[in-house]
Order: sequence, then structure tokens, then C-alpha cells
Amino acid sequence: MSFFNVYLPIAGIHLNILLLIAIGFCVGIMGGFFGLGLGFITNTALNIFRFHMAFAIGTGLSNVFGQSLSAIRKHQKMGNVDWKLGAIAIFTSVAGFEVGSRVVIALEKAGDVGSVIRWSYVVVLAGLGSFMCYDYFVLQARQLKRPEADSPAGNYGSGQERQHSSVARRLHQINIPPMISFPASQIERVSLWVVVSVFLCTGFLSGVLGIGGGFMILPALVYLIGLPTTIAVGTSLITVLATAGFGCLTYALDGKVELLAAVFLLVGSSIGAQIGATAVKFIKGYGIRLLFAIMMILAALSVMAEQFYMMTSRPAFHAFSWVILEGTVLALTATIIARLLLGYRAERAGRI
Amino acid sequence: MSTKKMFALLFLSFLFISVPTISAAAGGGEKETAALNQKVDTSKLTGINRWVAEMYNGDRVLYAIVVTLVMAALGTSLAFLTDLILKSLGLEVSRISHRE
Repeated sequence: MSFFNVYLPIAGIHLNILLLIAIGFCVGIMGGFFGLGLGFITNTALNIFRFHMAFAIGTGLSNVFGQSLSAIRKHQKMGNVDWKLGAIAIFTSVAGFEVGSRVVIALEKAGDVGSVIRWSYVVVLAGLGSFMCYDYFVLQARQLKRPEADSPAGNYGSGQERQHSSVARRLHQINIPPMISFPASQIERVSLWVVVSVFLCTGFLSGVLGIGGGFMILPALVYLIGLPTTIAVGTSLITVLATAGFGCLTYALDGKVELLAAVFLLVGSSIGAQIGATAVKFIKGYGIRLLFAIMMILAALSVMAEQFYMMTSRPAFHAFSWVILEGTVLALTATIIARLLLGYRAERAGRI
Repeated sequence: MSTKKMFALLFLSFLFISVPTISAAAGGGEKETAALNQKVDTSKLTGINRWVAEMYNGDRVLYAIVVTLVMAALGTSLAFLTDLILKSLGLEVSRISHRE
């Protein structure tokens, strides 16, 4: 295996390229499937393999930039990208993010708020994940009671779906001009102010918690704006692409990107993103939401364990946090690939 | 592949990746690179490593542009290539119906 060890001159370390490709592949599959960058997984993995955190973040962002380009290409083919909504999301989310991060900076001057922020992160992740799980199981229970209500392929907008986006429906009823439509997202009419407010809030929350926007934007697009899940996945990638592209350039200007490591990561993640995006074709929207919810809950558990490690300095918590994170990444990657293969088999059987 | 075999394979791959990481994590992780070198020593480097390091040392703006362009070009071309391979395997995608 030493044949695959390469020297990375900027970071000044030796690393196995197969490891980099494998990390990229797993992150790419999940990123393409959920419409996320998942930079925090790459960053922490690189950091564990002796990358300085600044290099890990810069290199991870460069990888996310290339990976999201790859995923967007596939989602675009499937009609999952709403560029108009994505453009609004970029500008308003960035504004919200800026306000959020400034609030944190101001609060930090007053006292140590790091711990409060990390616990808030846990609560937000676990809360959102639990809500999405609850939403899924409510639908399952309803389908068991009324199996005839199960929507056949392609009839998005059936009775049960409308019932599940009641918040979005109420928001759509707000009549403050200018009103705007998003045909690509199947939204006929919504106030621009509603859309802007939603993205300002998600951006603000991301800024306060110090996380990438994808985690907040995907549920907001589905539950507040009322997008079908698959379009929400493709559209959230636009914000990921914009922020990662900007981050890649600024971190590289600052000399914090290890180009060779980023290239090897991208080899894996670009291929993974294509596979992950293709898997979306075979899984219904609620299935994607359930997996996303599970990921959020497990990520919350991992952050919680890390928080306990910081409080008690017990290495067991640190190790536990890593086991959960790695287990989640591997299990979800395997699940997505398995669903892709099963869907492919079923499709082929149907064709024959 | 049976479900049992799939779970066994999953568990083994989990162990394969987890064990070294857990041990590293338990020890607080290996020591990070000592410092964020602003200049890279190129005297012992050859080939592409030398080229990258010299660009990094010489012109940071050029380095940033190259990094961004390489990521964009590589991401797009690998996507194109993977798309072709998936298509040849029968995993072609077109406009999908948005099922919930």
C-alpha cells in the first residue's frame, strides 16, 4: 500500500491517495444525494490525518466546489434545479449568514458563547431531524389506514402531499407584492418577501451556528417554500456551489488549500456525486427526507459526544463521536448505493 | 448478495476504517502539521510537486486561480466521464417525475 502514499508539499505530510479517494467518494455520494457539501466530514477526516484545520477547511471547500459542480450537472438533467430560486437563495442566505456571524462575534466579546452555540447546534439538528422523522412516520401511518391514497409515480401534489406542506400553503397565502412564481419548482405564486425572509432566517441560523447552509436550506425549501424534495436537493446545491467556489478562491489566496489532496478527494467525490445524484431517481421524496433526518439526528449525537469530550476531557467521548460520524457516513453511503442498485434492477425487470 | 453477507461486508468495512481512526481519536489525534508554512521548501521536490510548490511560493493569486480552475475543470470532466460510464451501464437519467 505504500505505493499509494504521496507527499503533499503544501500541507507537508504523507498520505495514502486511496484513503483520500475513499473519503471523497463517500462524501460525494451523500452530497449528490442530499444536495449538501458536507464539508464538516471532509474537514474533520483530514484533520484526523494530521492536516492543520485551516488546510483541512480550505482543501475540503475546494473539493465541495468541484463535487457540487458534478452533482448539479446530474440534477440539472433530471430537472431538479431551480436556478431562479437558487439565485435568490444565494444572495439572501449570504446576507443572513453575515448578520448571524456578526451577532456571534458581538456576543463573544461579551463572554464565551461557544458552548451555548454548540448546544444550540445539537438542539437544531436533533429537532429538525426528529420533526422530519415524525413527518415520515405520520405519512406511513396514514398510508396504512388509507392504502388507496398512496400516490402513484409522478402525481406530485396529491391530497396527502398538500396536507404535509400545510406551513408552505399558509405562507403561499400571504399576499404582499411583488408576487413571484417558480415554474421549475411547481410553485405558481408566492410573495417574494416570504422567500427572502425564509432564506434570511436560514442564513442567519447558519451564521450563528457556523455551519454550511445546506443543512438548513433543504428542510426550509421543502417545508416552508413547498418544493418537491428532489427539486429541493438540486436547488440547495446552487448555494453550496456558490459558497464553496468563493471559499475555495479565498482560502487558496490565503495559501490554505493543498491542491494535490483536493484533486485526489475530487476524483472520489465527483464520481460519488454522480452516483448519489442518480440514486435520487430511484427513491421517493419521503425516503430522501427520512435518510436526511436520520443523518441529522446522528450528526447531533456526534456533536453532543464531542461537546461532552470538551467538558470532561475524556477521550472515550471523542472516540464515540468519531464512531458515530464514520458509522453514519458508511451506513448512509451503503444504503444509497443499495437503493440505487435495487431501483436499477427493478427498472430493468420492468423494461424486460 | 444476501442481506447477511451485505451486513457482514458493511461491518467489516466499518471496522477497517474505524479502528485506526478510533485509536487516533482516543489518543487525541496525531500531532497536526507543526505550522502553517507560508513558504514550502522546494529543494527536495520533483515533478508536479515542485511545480505546485513553486507556484504556491511565487504567486499566491496565480495559485488561487489555478486551484479554482483545476477544481472546476476536473469536477466537470469527471462528471462527464462518470455520466458516460453510468450511461453505458444502463443508468441513464432524464427528466424525472417528482414523487413524494
